[in-house]
Amino acid sequence: MATVEERVKEVTAQVLKLDSDQIKLDDSFTADLGAESVQSIELVAMFEEEFGIEMDEDAALSVETVGKAVDFITQVCAEQGVDVEE
Amino acid sequence: MNRAKKRHPLVDAKKPNLLEDTYPYSLPPLIRFEGPVIENIDGKAVEFDFGAVKDRNILISDTTFRDGQQARPPYTIDQMVHIYDLLSRLSGPNGVIRQTEFFLYTKNDRETLDKCRSLGHKYPECTGWIRAIKGDFRLVKEAGLKETGMLTSCSDYHIFHKLKFRSRAECMDSYCEVVDAAFEAGVRPRCHLEDLTRADIDGFVLPFVERLMEMSSQVPEELTAKIRLCDTMGFGISYPGAELPRSIPKLIYKLNQECGVPSDRLEWHGHNDFHKVHTNGGTAWLYGCDVVNTTLFGFGERTGNPPLESAIFEYIALKGDLCEIDTMVITELANYMRSIGLPIPDNYPFVGRSFNTTRAGIHADGLRRDEQIYNIFDTEKLLARPPRVAITDKSGTDGVVHWVNEFFGLKGEDRINKIKIHKIARWVIDQYDEHGRLTAISDQELEAKVKELMPDYWAKYKAS
Repeated sequence: MATVEERVKEVTAQVLKLDSDQIKLDDSFTADLGAESVQSIELVAMFEEEFGIEMDEDAALSVETVGKAVDFITQVCAEQGVDVEE
Repeated sequence: MNRAKKRHPLVDAKKPNLLEDTYPYSLPPLIRFEGPVIENIDGKAVEFDFGAVKDRNILISDTTFRDGQQARPPYTIDQMVHIYDLLSRLSGPNGVIRQTEFFLYTKNDRETLDKCRSLGHKYPECTGWIRAIKGDFRLVKEAGLKETGMLTSCSDYHIFHKLKFRSRAECMDSYCEVVDAAFEAGVRPRCHLEDLTRADIDGFVLPFVERLMEMSSQVPEELTAKIRLCDTMGFGISYPGAELPRSIPKLIYKLNQECGVPSDRLEWHGHNDFHKVHTNGGTAWLYGCDVVNTTLFGFGERTGNPPLESAIFEYIALKGDLCEIDTMVITELANYMRSIGLPIPDNYPFVGRSFNTTRAGIHADGLRRDEQIYNIFDTEKLLARPPRVAITDKSGTDGVVHWVNEFFGLKGEDRINKIKIHKIARWVIDQYDEHGRLTAISDQELEAKVKELMPDYWAKYKAS
C-alpha cells in the first residue's frame, strides 16, 4: 500500500497535471505548483475521494503546502478511523 | 506635516457592532436624524425639524393611470382595475397610498373609474384630472368625484408661449375663474402648478397661491384648494442653499409658511430628467409637504416620476415601522406589470430581476457566509426575493456554491460546502477558459448540470 505522502503527491499531480516526481513536501500548492482557486477545491475533493474521508472545508483550504496536507490528512484519517500507511 | 484637527482613537471590539438600530434587516435601513436643519431663506436662518416626519401624516398619491399612462400604450380597463386592486392592497389599512387620479375624457376612462370604485376599496381614493376649462367640471360632477386636479401652469414658458396669455394677470384671472367653477360645482380643485421650478415665484406663483387661499377661505374646508408643486422638467434641487425657483426647501417654505397652505394640502410631483426624482420627493416630505405623487415603477412622461415602490420603502424608513404595509404586493405588481408588457430593467431597484443578484465571486463569498453582508435588507421577507448569484467567469466557486444552495433551498447547517460542488465549478470555468464563452450561464443550464453532476443531491432535494 502506498504511503499518505505518495498518495497525496499522486492526486496533486493528477489534478494539477504535473509529474509526481517533481512535487516536494515544502511546495506551496498555489505559489509553487500553480493551483488556481477551483483547483484547490478539486484537490480537497480528490483527497476526500482518495482517502474516503470528509474534511472541514475551511481547515482543508487553509493548508498551504504538500507536507502540511500529508500531516492534515493523516490526522483526519486517524480521527475518522481510516487506516493508512504513514 | 500632520494636518489632523481631531484625534480618533480606535475603539477596539471583540464582537461586531452591526449598527442594528439603523440596519434592522427585517426593515429597510431606517433614516434617522440628529438635530434641526437650517436653510437660509431671504437672509433669515430657518430651522426645519426633519425628525417630526415620524409623527406627521405624510402620504403617497399615485398617478400611474394619468402621468404613468402618458408614457406607454393605454392599459385595458381590466388591467387598470387589477392594478388599482393591487394598489389598494399595498396601501394597507392606513391608506398610505391615499389617492390615485384618472382621466375622465373617454367612455373607457369613465368605465374604468366606475369599475375601480365598484371594488369598494376605501384607498386609494379616486380623483380626476382635467384641463383648466370650466366645462370640464361637468365630467367631474357626472363621475361623482369629490376632487380633481387641474392644470394651472405657472412658468412664463407656459403662460406666454404655450397658453398664449397676453399677461400674467389675464392668466391668473382665467385660472381663478375655473377654480370658482370648481367651488360652484362642489368639487375640490387641486391646482397643478405646472413648471413651478422654472417659474417667477415672487412675481406670479406666490400671488396666485395667495389668491387661491383667499378664495378657499370662502368655502367649506372640504372644498379648499390643494396645491400640487409640479417639477415638470425635473429641475428641482434638494440641496440646502440652492436658489429659487429650483430649491425644493424654499418652494415648500414659501407656500407653507408665507402663503399659509397647510402641509396636508401640499403635494410634490416630480420628474426624473436629472436622476433626482426619488430624493426630491423625500425632500418634499421632510420640508413640510405631506403628499408625494408617484407612479408604479416610476413610469411617466419622458424619464418618469417618483417610483411609488421606492416611496413606500422611504416611508417605512422614515417611520421606522412597516405601518401594516404588505410590501410583498410590490413584487406581485412587478410580476403583473411584466406580464402585460411593461419593461422593467433587470437592475431596477426592489423589483428588477437582478436587483439583488451579485456576480462577483468575492461578493458571493460574503453572501455565503452571511447574506446580510451583501443584501440591502431581508428581501425574502419583504419582497419574496432572496439574494441571488449570477454565474459568470467572475463568480468563482463561492458564486457557484451560493447558487446551488439557493437552488436546493438549503440554509444554515444544511448548506452544501464548496468541496461538494467542485464538478459544477469546473464545468463553469471550462465554459469560459476552454470554450471561449462570453455570456452569463442561465439558471436552466446550471439546473441541468446539477442534475447530471450531483445526482445524489438531486435525488435527495429535487426528485420528489
